[in-house]
Amino acid sequence: MQRRQITLEDGRYLIFYTFEEETAAPSNSDEEAGAPADSKRRAEPDAEPQATEERRV
Amino acid sequence: MGEWVATATHRQTRTFLPPADFCPLCPTKPGGFPTEIPEPTYDIVAFENRFPSLQPEPPAPAVEATELYPVRPGVGVCEVLVYTPIHNSTLAGEPVEQIHKLVQVWTDRFRALSAHEFVEYVFIFENKGEAIGVTLHHPHGQIYAYPFIPPRVERELTQSRAHKDATGRCLLCDIVADETADGRRVVAKNDSFAAYIPFFARYPYEVHIASTRHLQALTDMSGAEQRDLAAILKSVIAAYDKLFDLSFPYMMVLHQRPVDGGVYDYYHFHVEFYPPLRTATKLKYLAGSESGAGMFINDTLAEEKAAELRAHVRPVVWQAGGAGKATTGEATGEEAGGD
Repeated sequence: MQRRQITLEDGRYLIFYTFEEETAAPSNSDEEAGAPADSKRRAEPDAEPQATEERRV
Repeated sequence: MGEWVATATHRQTRTFLPPADFCPLCPTKPGGFPTEIPEPTYDIVAFENRFPSLQPEPPAPAVEATELYPVRPGVGVCEVLVYTPIHNSTLAGEPVEQIHKLVQVWTDRFRALSAHEFVEYVFIFENKGEAIGVTLHHPHGQIYAYPFIPPRVERELTQSRAHKDATGRCLLCDIVADETADGRRVVAKNDSFAAYIPFFARYPYEVHIASTRHLQALTDMSGAEQRDLAAILKSVIAAYDKLFDLSFPYMMVLHQRPVDGGVYDYYHFHVEFYPPLRTATKLKYLAGSESGAGMFINDTLAEEKAAELRAHVRPVVWQAGGAGKATTGEATGEEAGGD
């Protein structure tokens, strides 16, 4: 999953999400287990968007 | 009364049921009118609501607080999630792969919004259908990031904590185990989730989807569990549409742990659907008892309504990589649709 963030004319953010073919094939594996925690107590750097591009339109 | 009410008078002027040619959630076509999304296509999009009830930097309250009436700025975040560029689609009509993408976006937004210091609860939901009061038909959901734990979740937390203290067990783990063992109220299930009409359903076709593993939030899920969540969501909402052969209106809400830094290991992730229809043409109204006393009157039996829905559950087919793990309507050893 990729994120591309832009800033709209009125200052609001908008994020485009795009995906590889990873969603197509179900799997029994837990290869994606252990995603970063969400809470502030356990916040991790991954909370920041990846592949972010700021652009005013 | 111990509950906050958001006053957002600017929302009175928000877009209301525009014609399909002027949908603000469609892509902006070359030479066309500018929509909220300034590109000719997209997959899934998240953006800050133009008409938010809560904002990261809200204006000062329009009225002053008194000792009797406390007032606080409406701090928070309101996002819109657009599921697909296809205006006439619905989440039920989307392939399971697209719902899987949505689950991943939900997870990402939950994680990102949780990082705000002022956010204590991230609430993901969808209002679908004019019967619910939607103002835009384009398939979309919303996220409200609240600066407090909302009262319905607070009630669930209290009950979950009390059950844990009394029994040493998780309340939802016990409910899922009981429902899957009994089977009469189960609508669908797969390796990671069970969908059922709860014993205490308030709406005739109220369905809850709970994880079979004890987890508290989307961010706790494995990749396989994310896919299973997508599959069982597809099963339930597709069955809704088949039930009366119409695009079934509903409210869908995700209940996760708060993100205020507290410990909520006694809580259990689940999704709840509140459909307003009790027949193909009749609505379940929230009338005097429901609105004034908080006491719901349900004119139906959960066991009967679950059987109706279960009859419309079909295996979920992934387009590539084989059939995958089918979500089934099996509940009591009968064939799906055997009721």
